[in-house]
Amino acid sequence: MTSGNESADRKENPGNGEEGEEEEIATITDPLESFNRAMFRFNDKLYFWVLKPVAQGYKKVVPEAPRVGVKNFFSNLKFPIRFVSCLLQADFSGAATEFGRFAVNTIWGVGGLSDPASSKQLNIPKNEADLGQTLGVYGLGQGFYIVWPILGPYSARDSIGIAGDYYLYPVSYITPWYDRLAVSAYEGVNDTSLRIGDYEFIKEAAIDPYVALRDAYSQYRQKKVEERRGQPVPPKPGGVR
Amino acid sequence: MERHFIGLSILMFFLSTLPGYAGAPLDTVQTNVNKVLDVARDPKLKGESAKRIKKEKLEAIYEQMFDGVELSMRTLGKNWIKINPAQQQEFIQLYRQILEKAYIDKILSYTNEKIVFSKENMLSNNQAEIQTNVITSSKEIPIFYKVILKDGIWKVYDVVVENVSLVQNYRSQFNSILAKNTPDQLLEILRKKVKGQ
Repeated sequence: MTSGNESADRKENPGNGEEGEEEEIATITDPLESFNRAMFRFNDKLYFWVLKPVAQGYKKVVPEAPRVGVKNFFSNLKFPIRFVSCLLQADFSGAATEFGRFAVNTIWGVGGLSDPASSKQLNIPKNEADLGQTLGVYGLGQGFYIVWPILGPYSARDSIGIAGDYYLYPVSYITPWYDRLAVSAYEGVNDTSLRIGDYEFIKEAAIDPYVALRDAYSQYRQKKVEERRGQPVPPKPGGVR
Repeated sequence: MERHFIGLSILMFFLSTLPGYAGAPLDTVQTNVNKVLDVARDPKLKGESAKRIKKEKLEAIYEQMFDGVELSMRTLGKNWIKINPAQQQEFIQLYRQILEKAYIDKILSYTNEKIVFSKENMLSNNQAEIQTNVITSSKEIPIFYKVILKDGIWKVYDVVVENVSLVQNYRSQFNSILAKNTPDQLLEILRKKVKGQ
């Protein structure tokens, strides 16, 4: 009884209705579902059998502060990805901020180990921009869903994006290849050590973990594109931009 | 004098029916989240023996904080009207238990972190979005609450963690299950899930 009334209410409320429709669109198509589910199981085992135990061991030995430092260091190295993506999105103030952040964090942040640019005094927030998102801002849809072994969930669009990001990431130019692999693996372990429990939470809360992860990925990326479409990103209150 | 009093009563009456009078949505959410954290941090409720009491207390807060019917309708979307009232009632109960566990687990994993209630956006005259930020030593996690005014109380109908709406996340799972199963089979899957948790 109440249900009838309330669903009628919802139809009358245009803002709400639009939002509902928009959310439906955010659902990603999945023609490769059986392959993806196999890859999902592979990555799941990889996480629980290898990545998580290694990250837990690492977490026991290294305190949190240096691990955050390492994360900041790699994040600072990803500056070219954010800088170029901002430029490609014609977000010149974003590109300028990124340039400023890179300079401040490299010099005063000891090569990027700390993030003084984000501190209360400077308050220059990071522009989380990447090439997959840039393609989205240009109007390219997510395309189909694909789960890559090791790398995890991606859309077709973001797969193109990460291929491009790869060339903008200095770590990709380390030779020989096994050193590059070692650095990437270390980055992965360090990142994982800072968010053990996130994946477990999604899995625990889900009825169908595969669908839950697929939807979470799709929503997350969709919002990233929508955020950037409303250019420029509003500065934090009290910011000095 | 009496006139003034009547005028005042009438004014009070109208004010009490205005949404704003029910207490700002941000305050309501903040009070509820703090209640959850208080129970979680209560030293008297530590340990195995107090687990049951703790769970009951959390359930009571959850009951006040969330709107079970609204959540269920929004989650099932078009499928809501396709199931019969008995199934709807059972769905509300099962889904409440699943969401309660998911939400409480999530918020409890942040007990030692700082939660900032930063902003209140009115979405319409009876709906609002409360933006909060959980600040940990390594990152900031945005958690938004969507609330609706029902019988004078602001109740949560969606939680958005790091841009991911819980309602939509469950909706996509239920849609995918209902594409291959009957509503009864869905309920059976949910019963098993609730039992196992």
